[in-house]
Amino acid sequence: MSTCVSANPYMAKPVTVQKITVENEARDLKTFRLAFVNPADRQAFAHQCGQFAMLSVPGAGECPVGIASSPLDGDYVEFTVKRYATGVVSSALHCLEEGERIGLRGPYGNSFPMTAMEGKNVVIVSGGFAFSTLRATIRYMLAPRNRPRFKTVTAIYGARSPGELLYKDELAAWNASSDIAMHVTVDKADANWKGRQGFVPTVLGEVRPSAANAIVLVCGPPLMLKFTIKPLLDMGFAPDMIFTSLERRMSCGIGKCGRCNIGSKYVCRDGPVFSYKQVLELSRGQF
Amino acid sequence: MPQASLRKEHFGKFVAAVSKGRKFFGPLECSDGVQLAELSPQDVPAFEYGNFTLPPKRFFLPRSEVIAVHGPGGMAATPPSQERVVLFGVRPCDAMSLTYMDKVFIDETYVDPYYRSRRENTLIITLACRQPAVTCFCASVKGCPAGTAGADIAASDLGDALLLESITDAGHAFLAEHAGLMGKPSTAQLKARDSQHADAGKKMSPVDVEKLPARLQAAFESKTWDDISQRCLGCGVCTFLCPTCHCFGLHDEQVGPVQRRVRAQDACAFPTFTLEASGHNPRTRQGARMRQRVMHKFCYAAENFGELFCVGCGRCIRSCPANLDIRQTLAEVPE
Repeated sequence: MSTCVSANPYMAKPVTVQKITVENEARDLKTFRLAFVNPADRQAFAHQCGQFAMLSVPGAGECPVGIASSPLDGDYVEFTVKRYATGVVSSALHCLEEGERIGLRGPYGNSFPMTAMEGKNVVIVSGGFAFSTLRATIRYMLAPRNRPRFKTVTAIYGARSPGELLYKDELAAWNASSDIAMHVTVDKADANWKGRQGFVPTVLGEVRPSAANAIVLVCGPPLMLKFTIKPLLDMGFAPDMIFTSLERRMSCGIGKCGRCNIGSKYVCRDGPVFSYKQVLELSRGQF
Repeated sequence: MPQASLRKEHFGKFVAAVSKGRKFFGPLECSDGVQLAELSPQDVPAFEYGNFTLPPKRFFLPRSEVIAVHGPGGMAATPPSQERVVLFGVRPCDAMSLTYMDKVFIDETYVDPYYRSRRENTLIITLACRQPAVTCFCASVKGCPAGTAGADIAASDLGDALLLESITDAGHAFLAEHAGLMGKPSTAQLKARDSQHADAGKKMSPVDVEKLPARLQAAFESKTWDDISQRCLGCGVCTFLCPTCHCFGLHDEQVGPVQRRVRAQDACAFPTFTLEASGHNPRTRQGARMRQRVMHKFCYAAENFGELFCVGCGRCIRSCPANLDIRQTLAEVPE
């Protein structure tokens, strides 16, 4: 973690909204591509897969969002944001247009265990828009200069319906790639859907990735996590081989405001990535 | 340890001298009890008080403060306050609480510039307690009625004079600067101080905090929390008055044409504290919120900082509208 003793850690850096992608049919998921106004801020922003940042809309406030772009992506940072009717900042973000200026501070938190994943088979299990930081991770691992560092990459990703799948162009490319075994599924198919139908835990049971020399990253809604962990344990994944990313309401992002703790750990500072072993210790297996 | 004696009849002159370079806050009888208020040389300070109604944390973490104004070029940060302040008459428990807050706001990774600047520019003169209140239990949580943790200068009230003993470099310099108003303490004064300090410590009933972190961990899912919290109104006054409660939120507000970011105190006693945009709330029950507050102080702080974040000031006991008593709550944690 970098040291910021001289800077004011609460100040967001100005960023321009370069591109907005509406990701789903419900139009409540948008991906924002942000570019730093000041090159020095871009230089200073070095993130790792799994970290998050605080997005700041003047007049509305701030909220924490996982970073959806790979550290190797160009001079921008991407965030996929779900709009909630009761979410002041997420609603304000969804009202933005390209070219507008907002604030960003971070990156914060720990990352997925990228070093431990090297030389291992990597399994990714995800549902819904929690896929965003795993999308960053897949992009990072599949980069030609990184791909040899990992053995097989297997991903299972599900959404409620075909229209709710994120990053559709990339999913298509990954489906066609030999670098990754991509399994996309939907809870409920429509007339045009040619792919798999079934809940993520069910598909996980069908794919049955080997636990040998493997690490699994699982991100999704609490219910999906609950029904995914048990089959993973049954397949032989030990609790310290299973990693997930937790969410809590946050304000400071740097372990001071006292808001996001689970037990003695702060999700912002000690997480957001925790092994299932830690989850068992911290919150008795509750997500 | 440099020592000096200040006759109370010279206190006004002392205030006048100090006020040339700093704002002087001292104990003053106000409508709502003795408060740490800005003193002028004419004011008659109150030397007899249990403790101030409000803890001194407001001098370092105000209830709310504007930390930035949004402008076309981004956020313009409010510069941290450089105002030089003396706080006279802080009770030892409250001074110790600041050493705990330091661990949160001045850690090795991120320093809170507002807190740090105020800490660096504030000189703390404690006043040892002669008569602890019935709600005091500092001696059970590493404190003592004449403790010096967090003090730059420790003062004792010897009736017609104050005995001042400097602890830190800033305190030494301050005593040297105002030596003209002070004299050398007599042997009798030093003896009086010793017997006063020894007596005060005997006046508190002990609270058992031994093995508390482990007991709390084991009792996480105990029904006790829901039972005790039946009486809790969720008003949050315990967190507002606690000298170590430091939770806050960052909010945007619009005042006229100005959009600004405000940091304001917040509290784990409130259901909205952890309410997420999705509607999910990990702490929906009052019992869960009360457990969080107690465990933060007596379990998580011990794990993170090696200290219990309670100094035994007793404010939460005195001011709880439902008569909840933290000493009793701790005793009710199942073994």
